[in-house]
Amino acid sequence: MKRANKILTILMFLFLYAPMAVLIVASFNTGNDITNFEGFTFRQYALLFKDSTLLSLLGNSVLVALLSSFIAVAFGTVAAVGIHNLNPKMRKVVMRLTDIPMTNPDIVTGVSLSLLFIFVGSNLLGAKAALNFGTLLIAHVTFCLPYVILNVMPKLKQMDRSLTDAAMDLGCTPLQSFFKVTLPEIMPGIIAGGIMAFTMSLDDFVISYFVTGPGFITLPVEIYSYTKKPIQPKIYAMFTLLFGLIFVLMLTMNLLQINAEKKKKDTRVRVESKGMRIFKRAGAVALALCLLLGCVFLGVQANQHTIILNVYNWGMNIADGTDDTLDIIAAFEEKYPHIKVNYSTYDSNEVLYTKLKNGGISVDVIIPSDYMIDRMIEENMLLELNYDNIPNFSYVDASFRNPDYDPENKYSVPYTWGTVGILYNTKYVDSADVTGWELLWNEKYAGKILMIDNSRDAFGIAQYLLGYDVNTMDKAQLQECADKLAQQRPLVQQYVMDQIYATMQNEEAYVAAYYAGDCMLMMEENPDLAFYLPEHQGFNLFTDAMCIPTCAQEKEAAELFINFLCDPEISGANMDYICYASPISEAKNYMEDYLAESQIVYPSSQILEKGTSYAYLSEDISRYVEGLYQHATKTADQSQTDNPNSLWPIVAVIALVGVAGVVWFLRKKKK
Amino acid sequence: MKKNKSSLGVMLSLPYMIWMAVFTLIPLGVVCYYALTDPDTGAFSWVNVTMLGEYWSVLGRSILYSLVSALICLLLGYPVAYFIAHQGKVAQKILYMLVMLPMCMSFLLRTLAWVGLLQDTGIINDFLDLIGIGRLQLIRTPAAVILGMVYNYLPYMILPLYATIVKIDHRLVEAAEDLGCNSLQVFTKVIFPLSVPGILSGITMVFVPAVSTFYISQKLGNTDTILIGDIIEKWFKQGNNPHLGAALSLVLMILVFVCTGIMNRFGGEEEGVIV
Repeated sequence: MKRANKILTILMFLFLYAPMAVLIVASFNTGNDITNFEGFTFRQYALLFKDSTLLSLLGNSVLVALLSSFIAVAFGTVAAVGIHNLNPKMRKVVMRLTDIPMTNPDIVTGVSLSLLFIFVGSNLLGAKAALNFGTLLIAHVTFCLPYVILNVMPKLKQMDRSLTDAAMDLGCTPLQSFFKVTLPEIMPGIIAGGIMAFTMSLDDFVISYFVTGPGFITLPVEIYSYTKKPIQPKIYAMFTLLFGLIFVLMLTMNLLQINAEKKKKDTRVRVESKGMRIFKRAGAVALALCLLLGCVFLGVQANQHTIILNVYNWGMNIADGTDDTLDIIAAFEEKYPHIKVNYSTYDSNEVLYTKLKNGGISVDVIIPSDYMIDRMIEENMLLELNYDNIPNFSYVDASFRNPDYDPENKYSVPYTWGTVGILYNTKYVDSADVTGWELLWNEKYAGKILMIDNSRDAFGIAQYLLGYDVNTMDKAQLQECADKLAQQRPLVQQYVMDQIYATMQNEEAYVAAYYAGDCMLMMEENPDLAFYLPEHQGFNLFTDAMCIPTCAQEKEAAELFINFLCDPEISGANMDYICYASPISEAKNYMEDYLAESQIVYPSSQILEKGTSYAYLSEDISRYVEGLYQHATKTADQSQTDNPNSLWPIVAVIALVGVAGVVWFLRKKKK
Repeated sequence: MKKNKSSLGVMLSLPYMIWMAVFTLIPLGVVCYYALTDPDTGAFSWVNVTMLGEYWSVLGRSILYSLVSALICLLLGYPVAYFIAHQGKVAQKILYMLVMLPMCMSFLLRTLAWVGLLQDTGIINDFLDLIGIGRLQLIRTPAAVILGMVYNYLPYMILPLYATIVKIDHRLVEAAEDLGCNSLQVFTKVIFPLSVPGILSGITMVFVPAVSTFYISQKLGNTDTILIGDIIEKWFKQGNNPHLGAALSLVLMILVFVCTGIMNRFGGEEEGVIV
């Protein structure tokens, strides 16, 4: 029995630590693929330390965690003493209140707080960026407080009440007796609560994800968008370093505790050794210094660069300096040293729209696609551009001026254009099957198909396949498309946007629908991949353009940024990385030849004729389509597809165990 | 004197009460408000509630998966907690720390590591292929989602279990042995009944985050294992319908409160809940 327990424990620890070991090993890998160890290197660590954004995000996380745990400790300890002195009835009520954030699922806490902040901040106070550092801090303090309270309360209960009475009898004021008697007595609880609050806050993803805006992002939130893009192994390096740090911290804390307990036993007198006391003081001073430095750092950061420009772009949609490309943002910051770019990403037009529509955030430059720009203009979500600040607009080709979605070119400056087609792996896909969009419905490749995860492109593909107009407002036709998509669902491995990179490159999936530029990028990584444009059925031809939303705070800087990106040399260098076509012909001179001449990037005019672009339909239809899309891809036709039948035996067992437990309990209670 | 104390208590805890009311109760009210208003007009309506019907199957699946994973966590976690509780003081501390450590690391990256392990071209399948078994469908199955839940929330089961088991008075075990119990009887009659509060709080602590989780199913599941948390995220972040998202959150919240209520009833007043 004991042996079995031991073996099980060892296995369990293996189970808990194996995935982390995988990540740690991956951080020393020369290759990018987590599953394939190619050689040992420290390169990822070098890259990590060069990456100022990642480090500053870590700084953000640490700052929030320090501040929120510090506030929670101070606030919570006082509150705990108060609660301790309440009459039992009141105490029960307050403890119930304390339980709410503990028992509420994180996602509900996050959602409810974000709704509150947006409701109060945007609707009542009219703030442009209602979701900011302050709201994040409030949210963190709120979920940290119960940890402090629940750790301090038992210590207060354990404490001998006569101790404080004695102190008061001996002439202490209540305040003195608190600091001299109560505080040292409950210190272990405070420390334990503070540490728990700190770790919870440092690692919190779900709540932060809902309450933070692009203006202030913490590491876990950014990791989420990292895991959606082709993963950069330097993130594993960061994981490894954090793992080491936390491991060492926890180990020293435990060893210190063990030591202290031993000493306590030895002397039987509860006097701290001098060394210990000095150590504690030093710790407190260090903590205070950290806090102070954090605040100073934040202040300096805010002051040093007078302007912070929030750029919100698609994932993988700007050259960032990897693979010997130009780091566009660094180049911009070098040219305009008074501007600091705060760059974050979204993965579809719908995500961008939702984020702006929900409110509470402020961004200065966005890059939506044509139909979305149309919609945003209609809903007064964009600001008119001042072309005096964008002289480089003169380089934009005539054919891209005054487009249908922005007839007078008041609101947008084109950034890229391209097509949506099919990416497939020639190793696994029979070329005879590559006949059109129906490839994405081919049962031969069931489970190996990736479908694009946004309503407009998904419906567009269904419409091309069924031969309908992509801008139809006919609800019957749209319903038919939704049925087509629902029919496809059992064959689909995943609905993806930027996640497509990892899955297609390592051949986890064979067929996908995606944007041509990204497909080019993937083809560079995996030469077995090929791109196919179903010309005979039609395909989407899109333009992404730079706009300034009404929530922007730095319009002029935003125009500078737009102007910068229209410089042919910059645009060309940018296209070298993102592999899209530039609306600025002159940029071709600065692009790599193979891209400028590629039929995928710049299809011939005969092919382009067959493409169509999406137009904005109407608020009503957009909502209708979104509803159909979510239904078709998430919940429709459950009965036909994989039923969790295989789980029913387990359900039966659980039910039996549950019933047995209840019966056993009731019998016990009777006794 | 007594009155004095009570008023001091009120004075000291009032700011806290206000804080918690403003940032926990009122937000829940705002969720209700959003859930019961029309997305287009903002007027009171039941439209979101009537739309919930579509999601019962998703909710059922979430409950099912999280119950299964809570049960598996219990079966795996109990022996481990028992083992840890019966080590020496120092070993206990270190083992406890090792259980807690994964909870402090990014759950996103740890889940992502499972993708690397389980996928068709992943580490486990490469190994199985190498030893001649051939590749199996591991990822994108309900089992993979449950595995992800068990992996992420196992520590939440072990810690409360350990906290209760370690508190069991060893003299009770000795007494039972003296009175002629064999080791199985000692377990069923003494140790297990005394660890019930830990079991209940462990089940709650696994069930609540598991039932509301998102991301795990997105990474480890297929298109038919989507969970309620993923749907809520979609409506808030992609589908632009916070009203429907709020209605779904409300359902989730009620579910969790009912569950914890039942657990509390069984477990009596809060005992050893604190990790």
